[in-house]
Parts: sequence; C-alpha cells; structure tokens
Amino acid sequence: MGQSGKTAGKQSVIFALIHAGTYLPATWLLKHRAFDQPVSVIIAIVPIITFSVFILKYIKAFSEMDEVKQRVQLEAVVIGFSLTVMLMMLLFLLGLCDVSNPDLFGFGNMVGYCWAFYFIGWFISKKKYGV
Amino acid sequence: MKNTIKVERAKKDWTQADLAKHIGISRQGLNSIETGKFIPSTLLALRMAKVFNTTVEVLFQLDETEDLLTMDPENN
Repeated sequence: MGQSGKTAGKQSVIFALIHAGTYLPATWLLKHRAFDQPVSVIIAIVPIITFSVFILKYIKAFSEMDEVKQRVQLEAVVIGFSLTVMLMMLLFLLGLCDVSNPDLFGFGNMVGYCWAFYFIGWFISKKKYGV
Repeated sequence: MKNTIKVERAKKDWTQADLAKHIGISRQGLNSIETGKFIPSTLLALRMAKVFNTTVEVLFQLDETEDLLTMDPENN
C-alpha cells in the first residue's frame, strides 16, 4: 500500500469513528428525548448519511490496498456478513417458536453484533495470512 | 506452492521491506507471500520476477502434491 493507500485507509477509519459519533448520540436522543416527527426523522437519517460516506471511503481504501490486505478485508467482510445472516435467521426462526429477547437481540443490538462479527473475521483472516 | 523469494532476496542483499517497496506492496504482505501463506497474482509474480531479473518459474514452483495432481489423468 502506497502513501495514498495509507491516507485512504486512515480516512475510512476516521469516517467510521464519525459514524459512531453520530449513531450513538442519535440513538440516545431518539430514546430519551421527545421530538416532533420531522426532527426525529432528520436525527435518524444523519447516522445513515455518515455511514454512506464511510462505506464510500472504505471502498476507496479497499481499491488502494495491496492484494494481501484486500484478501484479508474480503474474508473479514464475508465472515462478518455470514455470521450476521446466521444470527438473523436464528432469531427469526426462534421468534416463530415464541422464543425471543428484544433486549439482547433488537435491531439496535444487531448493528453491534454485525461489527463484532466483522472484527472476528478480521482477526481470523489476519492470523491466517500472518499480516 | 514453493518459492525462492528469500534466496533471490539474499542474492541482492535486500530486506523484505526493500523488496516490498520495489513491487509496491506492504512488508507484511510480502512476508505472507514468502512464507507461502498467500499465493500472489500473476501481475505481482511478474513484477517480482522483473525486479530479480529472472522468470516466474524460477521464483515459484508447484510442490510435489500439486505436481502429481496435474499429472493424474483422473483429475484432468
């Protein structure tokens, strides 16, 4: 990865942090404060916009990585995506059996699990390729 | 897949960082290739062969089991 690749990588991390910095306060505000519906919708959309920018920066960083790092990221995303889909299917099927715990497995928690699964995939892949 | 990157590197007295810089990848990435954990693309293999002034066949060889697979008619 050259200098521009490193810059792109840093930018994607910065935008991931900016997204977290908008998502968490937005969640808190929408849970604990009462707003008019249009204001609530705007607050709900802001983290989605920052997430979109993060994804664009991530794709740019990916295209500038060397092929070993690209493989690591690809495997991390595949593992993260697969585990998230598995969890969602399990929760759906358990929901059909009237077994569910929204406090632990609500939509909000799913975002956290998705990130956790990505990092698990990243760790496994980094170890596999010794990067 | 076996490779002779370490040998070729030693001939030129290059560190992994030196070679990585010449072929435009990270040092960790090169280490992964050199230890056989990652098989590089044709483009990278050709770039490596060029900086060592040799051929891809000298740098990379199939190991015995991979060689037998290509010779076994049942697998072709």
